[in-house]
Amino acid sequence: MSGLAHYLEDEGLATVVVALVREHVVSMRPPRALWVPFELGRPFGAPGDVEMQLSVLRAALALLEQPAKQPLLVDFEGQDSTPPVDPNWRFPAQLEHGSVLAEAAAVMPVWQLACERLGRTSVGISGLNPETAVDFVARYLSPDPLPNPKGMAPVSRVRFAIDDIKAFYLEAALAQGGHPSSRQLRDWFWNETLAGGMIREFQDKALASDDANLNRIAGSLVPAELTFSYLRGN
Amino acid sequence: MVRLADIPEPERTVIAGLNCPAYADTPPVTPATAAERHVAIVSTAGLILRGERPMLANETGYRAIPSSAPDGDVLCSHVSTNFDRTGFQQDLNVMLPRDRLRELEQQGEIGRAADTHYAFMGATSPEKMQDKAREVGRSMLALGVNTVVLAPV
Repeated sequence: MSGLAHYLEDEGLATVVVALVREHVVSMRPPRALWVPFELGRPFGAPGDVEMQLSVLRAALALLEQPAKQPLLVDFEGQDSTPPVDPNWRFPAQLEHGSVLAEAAAVMPVWQLACERLGRTSVGISGLNPETAVDFVARYLSPDPLPNPKGMAPVSRVRFAIDDIKAFYLEAALAQGGHPSSRQLRDWFWNETLAGGMIREFQDKALASDDANLNRIAGSLVPAELTFSYLRGN
Repeated sequence: MVRLADIPEPERTVIAGLNCPAYADTPPVTPATAAERHVAIVSTAGLILRGERPMLANETGYRAIPSSAPDGDVLCSHVSTNFDRTGFQQDLNVMLPRDRLRELEQQGEIGRAADTHYAFMGATSPEKMQDKAREVGRSMLALGVNTVVLAPV
């Protein structure tokens, strides 16, 4: 991000970097940067907080009014407005735990409600519908894999299918609103769903595989502290 | 998915030290006045339009995101587990605040919000993105854009 700022500025554009990792900005010295104290993935603050998003944009653009002392790094003065953790949050439906496909079928109506509430879905990068994505991953390393549709390499398809499954479950978890933190949602997915378990098992197999392409994607499927046994405590 | 300071080691150190080549200070452009500002957003969230091929890890190219594209057609193909996606799932403006930019235009705080925004893939070596970054910069200049807000993920 900071590197891009150098190139764009050199081409003649005035740039402002909104930075989540202060260390990167200090190291790479883009012409102007605003460091914000938000979660990674939320550079403009909490979802739905229009005033905070405007405040960040205004603060970033205000750096263009500063004297030409370069590089310029300013800390955003606002605080993260993410609501407190909701200790009573639960997934808004009883899940079927007989099989991962049965679980996904139980998630489906909840996800459909979530799509209505959110007005959109972020599921879709694999090109598979959610239940097919689950089946694709479940059978990928089996003797009976699902056929891979044209247009994407199998290893890419399975990589993006895994992300679609995560998006499918996490969007469903937001169906009834509330204020689950991202940590709560993450812990729920990885520790309480069969889909999370399936992906962790897939990762273990991918890491042990002789297939270099599988090895390449394996490390980024599951949060690092869940990936390595010494961090799992087992 | 938390702030960098809250991420457990060793991941925290890995992220903090990620691919940070040294740059000489770039002479700053004299910014346009607020009324003349034509502002685009460049994201590193690997944003794509629904139906496009997702961006791959270390991909050096970019995608154009028209400001007219429906929210539901903007997807995130940066699939790292190091950052939160649930904010984006609830509100596209968390990563690409194009609605807020339009509001600043309507309120006269900037001259114009760009018709097109752009996305690169995060965690890619910035040096390898140089050619494409300069290319998209020239494209923006040709469209009259003079100001860029760079948004990480």
